[in-house]
Amino acid sequence: MPAPIPAARVLLVEDTPTQAEIAKAMLRDFGHDMRHAETAGAALEIAQEWQPDAILVDLVLPDFSGMELMRRLKAQGVNAACIVLTAHGSVNTAVEAMREGATDFLLKPYAAARLRVTLENALEKRALRQALDTAQTVLRRDHFHGFIGASPAMQAVYRTIESVAGSKATVFISGESGTGKEVAAEALHQASPRRAKAFIALNCGAIPRDLLESEIFGHVKGAFTGATENRIGAARAADGGTLFLDEIGEMPAEMQVKLLRFVQTGQVTPVGGTRAEKVDVRLVCATNRDILAEVQAGRFREDLYYRLYVVPVVLPPLRARGEDVPLIARHLLAAYSREEGKGFTGFDDEAEAAITTYPWPGNVRQLQNVLRNAVVLHAGGTVTRAMLPGLLLHGLLLQGAPSSAPAAAASKPVGPSPIEPLVVSERRLILAALEHTGQDVLRAAALLDVNPSTLYRKLTAWKKEG
Amino acid sequence: MHKVSLMSALDPEVAGQLAEDLPPDVFRTIISTFEDDLSRLAHELAEAAQAGDQEGYERAAHSLAGAAAAVGATGLEREARIAMDHRQPEAPAVVLPRLLVEAEAALRALHALIN
Repeated sequence: MPAPIPAARVLLVEDTPTQAEIAKAMLRDFGHDMRHAETAGAALEIAQEWQPDAILVDLVLPDFSGMELMRRLKAQGVNAACIVLTAHGSVNTAVEAMREGATDFLLKPYAAARLRVTLENALEKRALRQALDTAQTVLRRDHFHGFIGASPAMQAVYRTIESVAGSKATVFISGESGTGKEVAAEALHQASPRRAKAFIALNCGAIPRDLLESEIFGHVKGAFTGATENRIGAARAADGGTLFLDEIGEMPAEMQVKLLRFVQTGQVTPVGGTRAEKVDVRLVCATNRDILAEVQAGRFREDLYYRLYVVPVVLPPLRARGEDVPLIARHLLAAYSREEGKGFTGFDDEAEAAITTYPWPGNVRQLQNVLRNAVVLHAGGTVTRAMLPGLLLHGLLLQGAPSSAPAAAASKPVGPSPIEPLVVSERRLILAALEHTGQDVLRAAALLDVNPSTLYRKLTAWKKEG
Repeated sequence: MHKVSLMSALDPEVAGQLAEDLPPDVFRTIISTFEDDLSRLAHELAEAAQAGDQEGYERAAHSLAGAAAAVGATGLEREARIAMDHRQPEAPAVVLPRLLVEAEAALRALHALIN
């Protein structure tokens, strides 16, 4: 006895009752959900409404042919495996049927075993095709919730977020400033079953330490000076949803203890209150610090670290995202141009090259600022290199410290350092100056404020190095 | 007179396979459907022949050939295919009686298979 094949929706299109009865009896025996149409017109209607997995198509039908039916099914977007039923086993018929999108054909009369195998193969082929299409779609995504980007680094981020979204596990997002940690937290929330409930974001680094407990857990009226009303707090506001604690590395030690208790018990006690209240919150934390280094330095509680660092999501810096840079730039330019009522259409080659090669230490946030600036200050058309800030044209040495400088001073930022060997920076600056001046060494030297002979000497040396 | 034996009316491979594949009650239902098809299509054939409706005649013959093939009624299928071929030289008055003989023989053979 053959193994049972999974139940599928099968539409039989057959106008001769005897043939239809035989096919129906066989399909019922296979355990399929089956419908029958006696005309091609009826088949089109059923297929549109019912979306079958497979369609058995007789070639000769009262209203129009089975070939024409397959053409119209395709045009209607019906994505079923079509098996042609024919009394003529000619190669021409088979070729024509396949050309019209048939998966296979079956010569009449057929035994139950033959129908079963043909149908099983067609359904399997369709399932494989669908799985492949899904995989390709997932692998080629150029956006995901609030993210723009198709790079392999971002595909890995999208996959992690999708995988963990359905769970209640705490997610720890790390990445340099401006890489989109809050965007990732919101994506997690939107991809989760909690999406209909609140997403509450709190920046622990931006709230005075005395107020942090009240911001997270709320307070009762009169709990402290200025507490004139009861306040619900972020944890209870996020009940059923997601609580995002950004810059968790900035949280004072005494607050870390209270957060640990909350994570362990799921209970919230407002400042000045006596009664603990259970809340159902999915916790997402983020930092641009190396949190493990913070633990080792004794600035972050180890027990809290292990409670929070359940599923890590590491956001890559923009400089590691390759082709995402022009992709994001085009997207932002279109959005800002629309918002500001300007008619920007794109970047010229030089501007695009500058944007693509600049290392973006401030990541997407810096790119946003640069493009907002260009859109606001200029009328429209094509963005040229002259519309971009000078730092994009002069490379890393002129860019200043990353925007996360205060945090960076306290601890090492996550991800590769933007600092590179001096010779590499020097070479890039010289080449950028030459490109900017159309390979005019004298002007490039003037821009770089060096003697032209220095440039000639360097160029000669590089040529020798190959 | 065109005579057909019970055995030659059916392709034992097709009809036997059907009898084996399907439960007896389902097989009976199919024979009953085939009988209905035969009766309706033979009537349509005769009417189309009388009215000189070549297209209707060929269409009914095509359906009859399909129904016959489905149950393995090879003789009936052969005669139906002759009728549906507009290039064949035999007039309906010649083909139809032969076709009816084959139909009766197929039915008798199918009933014999049930019993």
